[in-house]
Amino acid sequence: MPPLKPGDKFPENVVFDWVPIKNQDATLAGSPQDYNASSEFKNKKAVLVSVPGAFTPSCQAYHLPPYIDQFDKLKKQGVDLVVVIASNDGWVMSAWGKVNRIEGNDILLMGDTKSFFSKNHGWDAGMGDRNGRWAMVIEKDGTISYADNESDPSKVTVSGVDAVLKSLQK
Amino acid sequence: MAPLKVGDSLPADVKFEWAPITDSDPTACGLPQVYDASKEWAGKKVVLFSVPGAFTPGCQARHLPPYIEKRSEFKNKGVDIVAVIASNDSWVMNAWGKVNGVKGDDILFLSDTKTFFSKEHGWPAGMGDRNGRWAMVFDKDGKVTYAENEKSPGEVDVSGAEAVLAKL
Repeated sequence: MPPLKPGDKFPENVVFDWVPIKNQDATLAGSPQDYNASSEFKNKKAVLVSVPGAFTPSCQAYHLPPYIDQFDKLKKQGVDLVVVIASNDGWVMSAWGKVNRIEGNDILLMGDTKSFFSKNHGWDAGMGDRNGRWAMVIEKDGTISYADNESDPSKVTVSGVDAVLKSLQK
Repeated sequence: MAPLKVGDSLPADVKFEWAPITDSDPTACGLPQVYDASKEWAGKKVVLFSVPGAFTPGCQARHLPPYIEKRSEFKNKGVDIVAVIASNDSWVMNAWGKVNGVKGDDILFLSDTKTFFSKEHGWPAGMGDRNGRWAMVFDKDGKVTYAENEKSPGEVDVSGAEAVLAKL
């Protein structure tokens, strides 16, 4: 399927693999559950970010931390939650969140191993099964208001928090 | 191919992906390189164990930690290298080692994404591409002296540090 574009609706049956973060100890593995994004995103303004891999250099250095650091700015623009997905499983995503000191329910890290959203409705990385590096903004009524993919998955430009913030301020 | 059994030799061209642990910060990513096990393990006594996934409950709670705690007991039995493999990539394996407090090459965290050793010469988990849960011991001449697979990948019995130590 072609990637979603602004004006499209967020599809039904989008499910991610989620191991909620309940403590800060990355050696304690949590319990996986299905996260139905199609229903959870209803009436929420969500930023969905996809990365090629947890614990990988670009994702770690330039992509995830700015979203954590600047979450308050996103919140001021009406964003309720940020969901970061990769092709890693929910356990790895949860551990990645913990070592980045993510707490609470504002930024959720999940495995895109259930309904393969990135492949079916976004962009893949062109590197095996890995997700591409991209960002989407989903409005409260489910309409996509921003969707952009990095032409080079090792770069963080259009999918970074700065670009997303800029689109929200328009 | 059939899994290796006692008396078989470590095949040539077994490669893993390896991001060496050079610090203790899991937010500092490692640098992946190819680890040529067939070469590196020549003349060494090696314990290799395989797990279905880094940061997963069974592997984390009951499989990996006893190997870390008993690392010196393995050394006393003449083991030069203890290595753990999974189908996760080497960045994830590197981070898994770090959060478990492993330093340097005490235990090598290798990614079985190069020559798919578990699938080709060991046992898969029967859950997608995941590795099975098993352990093998290679002697200095490359001969397999122990090779056991868990009947249920949720259990840690024949592949655990205790079982392997008992055979050494």
